[in-house]
Amino acid sequence: MPSRLLLILPSTSYRASAFLEAARRLGVAVTVASDHRSTFADAQPANVLLVDCGNPARVTEQACRFAAEHPVDAVFGVDDTTAVAAAWVARALGLRHNSVEACEAARDKHRQRVMLAREGLPVPSFALHRFDGDLAAYARVAPYPCVLKPTHLSMSRGVMRADDPAGFARAVERLRLIATREDAAVEGRETFLVERFVPGDEFALEGMLAGGALRTLALFDKPDPLDGPFFEETIYATPSRLPEARQREIGFTVERAAQALGLTEGPVHAEVRVNADGPWIIEVAARPIGGRCSAILRFGERAAISLEQVLLAQSLGLTVDGEPAAGGQPATVEREPSGAAVMMIPVPRAGTLIAVRGVDDARRVPWVDDVVITAHPGQQLEPLPEGNRYLGFIYAWAEDPATAVAALRAAHANLAIELA
Amino acid sequence: MVSYSMDEISITAEPVDNHRCKFVVSVPLFEGGARRFGSPEEAAGSPLAEAIFRIPHVSEVHVAGHAVTVIKGDTAPWQMAGKAVGAAIRASLQASAPPVAARASAVDPALDDALFAKVSTIFDTRINPMVAGHGGRVDLIDVQDGMVMLRLMGGCQGCGMADVTLRQGIEATLKEVAPEVLGIVDVTDHATGANPYFASAKK
Repeated sequence: MPSRLLLILPSTSYRASAFLEAARRLGVAVTVASDHRSTFADAQPANVLLVDCGNPARVTEQACRFAAEHPVDAVFGVDDTTAVAAAWVARALGLRHNSVEACEAARDKHRQRVMLAREGLPVPSFALHRFDGDLAAYARVAPYPCVLKPTHLSMSRGVMRADDPAGFARAVERLRLIATREDAAVEGRETFLVERFVPGDEFALEGMLAGGALRTLALFDKPDPLDGPFFEETIYATPSRLPEARQREIGFTVERAAQALGLTEGPVHAEVRVNADGPWIIEVAARPIGGRCSAILRFGERAAISLEQVLLAQSLGLTVDGEPAAGGQPATVEREPSGAAVMMIPVPRAGTLIAVRGVDDARRVPWVDDVVITAHPGQQLEPLPEGNRYLGFIYAWAEDPATAVAALRAAHANLAIELA
Repeated sequence: MVSYSMDEISITAEPVDNHRCKFVVSVPLFEGGARRFGSPEEAAGSPLAEAIFRIPHVSEVHVAGHAVTVIKGDTAPWQMAGKAVGAAIRASLQASAPPVAARASAVDPALDDALFAKVSTIFDTRINPMVAGHGGRVDLIDVQDGMVMLRLMGGCQGCGMADVTLRQGIEATLKEVAPEVLGIVDVTDHATGANPYFASAKK
């Protein structure tokens, strides 16, 4: 009987296809647990399950009831919220997973800062404030330039730089509106984080923990400067141009950060700034890279293994071929050696998407492998800091990452985004 | 047979992974349902499929309406193979013969015909009433050698959870009721879905 994976997946996820394909390749049965009722909920009760992703007690109860009929071998949450839900379920079912406390700490930017600072990790100085507090007093003592952040929103949504008290006041008001929107997380609506702006270049580490030890799967350069006023991520390129020693230092720092949070198993996605003082931890998340960016990572000798396949194999105690792993240890697969880069296509302004033109021309740019438009015609789009959707993704592989990045920029220049 | 000028033909590549890529063409390739070619021998007589099989490592070709799905055995990115497929599509549309010939007698076409009828009934009585709950519809395009070719419409087209519906719902239901179904092939152009039930967000 094949292993069964309980995959907790928000219904707005970009990642359903990648995870289902990975499970198919591993030969495991999958139950997709999601926050909206599937049209096949009654017809295929072993395959789809309605759960309340944002309510850990409820999702645990729902998953345990399910597992009593359909034994589950592993549980995996694909994003910050569902990673917490997965931790609760795994604890109830006695499955290997990060602890609930560690996942909750990783999800809460303030709690994470507190725990990392307590362990002496390099994090920017920070303070937690209330939206209904003395905003003028907060503005007077803020360490300019500073960065204001929501505590529970993903990626760079709501993140703004302020250079003076007036800018601080404007950013707080804007952030309050973002944090209380209907589509924002239910947590963190009363408070916000203020931290010192750390100058430097930014990098993202994609890794996997096993027994608390970190294996770096990829280190991404972010070639576009992220200095504010907003912090929209556009391009990730790998392998990193940093010297080996600096890369090892980043890996070591992220591993210490993960350990400080209590993370021991599964995916890690970390954002790190590097300047003359060394690496600074901006964020450590107990989930894989977001959006459809993971498609840029391919592993194994034939570059045929996806990131999702590597992660699901680990959670199920399998090799990437779907065979039982010796001692339950994760497979040691290496990323392909070629340069690779992905662009998260920015939303240029607010409006209703009419069309994206020039996609075929963008695809014809040398080294560009694909252009995928994920927004749909008629969709309301907003740029950062309010927005929470990408327009799409561009992928390029080349002999070196700089060539791949140049290809992305050339492809993007072909796109004409028509908004009403 | 209509032949097209280069300007009339635009092709959109939609890779699923390094092995499988769907090419959606602005003009029809085959209007007689769908055809699946599992080998160069099966492709004989269909110039488009013959040309695609000349591309190294191609192992399977599906053609339906405006779409051709190519499956290859190697893991190289689609950049090079994709350009060759594009050239094959353009050449076949500019030739005098139809790109894809109507299906000649298969090994046992009666089996596929019977399965088509069975799957059609399952779509009408079980699957479409369910997906209608999210404003969706699934059209049965063809059955070939046990493979069911279908197209998602309405709320399913472009939906972030379309693959969950396909794999966890439709395929599982079909295999349960009709075990002779070997798999499904989605020929939907998801990029043109204007009203997906679930639109993806930053998660």
